[in-house]
Amino acid sequence: MKFNRPKLPALLLCLAALACSSSCTGAKNEADDPARVRVGIVFDIGGKDDRSFNAAAFEGVKRAERELGVVLRDVEPGNPTSIEPAMRAFAERGYDLVIGVGFAQAPIMEIVAKDYPHINFAIVDGVSQLPNVASLVFKEHQGSYLVGMIAARTTKTGKLGFVGGMDIPLIHRFATGYEEGAKAVNPNISVYRNFVGVTDSAWNNPGKGKELALSQIGKGADVIFTAAGNSGLGAFDAVEQAGKGADGRATHYVIGVDSNQNMVKPGYVLTSMVKRVDNAVYDIVNDVKNKRFQGGVHVFGLDKDGVAFSLDQYNQSLIDPSILQEVEAARQKIIKGEIQVTDAMAK
Amino acid sequence: MTEIFTIALIFSTIRTATPLLLAALGGLYSERAGVINIALEGLMLAGAFTAAAVTHYAGSPWAGLLAGIGAGVLVAAIHAVACIRFNADQVVSGTAINILMTGVPAMLSGALFLSSGSTPQIPRDDLIPWTPVVLALLLVGVTWYVLYRTPFGLRLRAVGENPEAADAAGVNVNGVRYSAVLLSGALAAIGGAYLSIGQSSLFTRNMTSGRGFIALAALIFGKWRPVQTMLACLLFGFTEAISIQMQGVFKPWGEEIPVQFISIVPYVLTIVVLAGFIGLSRAPRALGIPYQKEK
Repeated sequence: MKFNRPKLPALLLCLAALACSSSCTGAKNEADDPARVRVGIVFDIGGKDDRSFNAAAFEGVKRAERELGVVLRDVEPGNPTSIEPAMRAFAERGYDLVIGVGFAQAPIMEIVAKDYPHINFAIVDGVSQLPNVASLVFKEHQGSYLVGMIAARTTKTGKLGFVGGMDIPLIHRFATGYEEGAKAVNPNISVYRNFVGVTDSAWNNPGKGKELALSQIGKGADVIFTAAGNSGLGAFDAVEQAGKGADGRATHYVIGVDSNQNMVKPGYVLTSMVKRVDNAVYDIVNDVKNKRFQGGVHVFGLDKDGVAFSLDQYNQSLIDPSILQEVEAARQKIIKGEIQVTDAMAK
Repeated sequence: MTEIFTIALIFSTIRTATPLLLAALGGLYSERAGVINIALEGLMLAGAFTAAAVTHYAGSPWAGLLAGIGAGVLVAAIHAVACIRFNADQVVSGTAINILMTGVPAMLSGALFLSSGSTPQIPRDDLIPWTPVVLALLLVGVTWYVLYRTPFGLRLRAVGENPEAADAAGVNVNGVRYSAVLLSGALAAIGGAYLSIGQSSLFTRNMTSGRGFIALAALIFGKWRPVQTMLACLLFGFTEAISIQMQGVFKPWGEEIPVQFISIVPYVLTIVVLAGFIGLSRAPRALGIPYQKEK
């Protein structure tokens, strides 16, 4: 068999050119339109369909694209080293707003934003002192406190689980709030805290997330709160595997995070600690469009519904109304400052 | 301590070792035939993605598993053609496949599911949580038998040790190498499929999280022999499982040990065992060297 070697690379080039000509050209013209506000968003390693944190950010910018008519471009970095070039590419092309999603991008944005002082930047879950960077941060501990209360009222064993993604201070904020909420209801409750890993691959390892959840179930935990991106979905599998009792209700529950995850495994998801990254991102795009962008720290707590727990047709029957009353009372007290939830990152 | 050493630990060990074992056995065929297979990670990803996507559409995990195997074989064929037909550097080709496979599933999931790297979740009834586990353990015996008791195994080993001699004895060196690399694609793909339609219920980006490389380490650790490789995989699985059980429970000084330290347990143990007990691990002599027939 004689194979003409140069043909193969040539063929690949043609294919690449073809693929590009069909998709790239149309988009390019639109993105170059100077009359429209252009927004670039760089996602975290989890990727925009993690059904959780990044998904919420994506939801927000999609809504802005629909309702505000902005031009939207997104990048999903395959690894941490491609975050900076992606940000610079948007800034270099003069985008009106560059959004970075996730704590890991904060130090990178600090460098890039300094080089482009006339471009607006926004960082989710990170803090920067630069005047052209809006820092969008959330009081995750407050929302976690409320779901901790619900978990403590639901557990039959008095043992709860927490599966975090990467072991970073931000995720400890979820864990500590959760534990405090649970102990406020019942001081004797114990909480198993586990983390998937210590590198960014910890957000994308559902297999290990499931093993951690199974080990917590083995130790008696019957409500598990996840804050682990895609890895958290493994905990959903684990509680489903534990099955349903004679009364037709699940024996073990999971609590979703960031996005409303109640519909991921209906009947097994007690509630979700939603973090309204979508609203925060939408608002900042709106500010840019209306030329009232402000740098500095924007904090989203229970008061502005920046964090909350989800209640819908999937979990209404799982939470008793008396629990809801109790949680609502606590919510008011937190907003008024009568209950101080420990912020693990402030320590 | 009784909280750590439980029956659950044994099951967790086996579940964690399964994808490693399947990939390592795949690597064993390829490397015993003389072709370095650093592409195990990418082959696993190909199998994992295809299995989840086809199971979603067909509603049958068996169709998914078969399609996953097919995808693994197909991707392995790229490696085989590059290394055997075109004498490419085997490490470079393998690395290229790993990089390719971080992108291709993301691109295809965009086209198929309008997502950027994950498939929809597969209903629990469509999962195969135990079949790959049993299969992996059976395949250790099968591989041992094939390697040491069949003509194909003899040729495979000969081709990996001394291809010139094998050629002189009438063995089709490149033919054997092709089948070995394709087989490794099939086995690694089953390992990947276990992750997406056995252990978990969906594919997510890079969900193998380095398991292909750990499998490669287990293969070297196991001196390229089936039973030893299985033991190495079980050791890795055990250390991972024990680190899972230890987290938040093991409090020797009343204080929790930081997760960072617990996470290094598997690696420290590996170094200790490698340095202390295993001794020299000798690779097949012709590993990494393309075979060119003298004209």
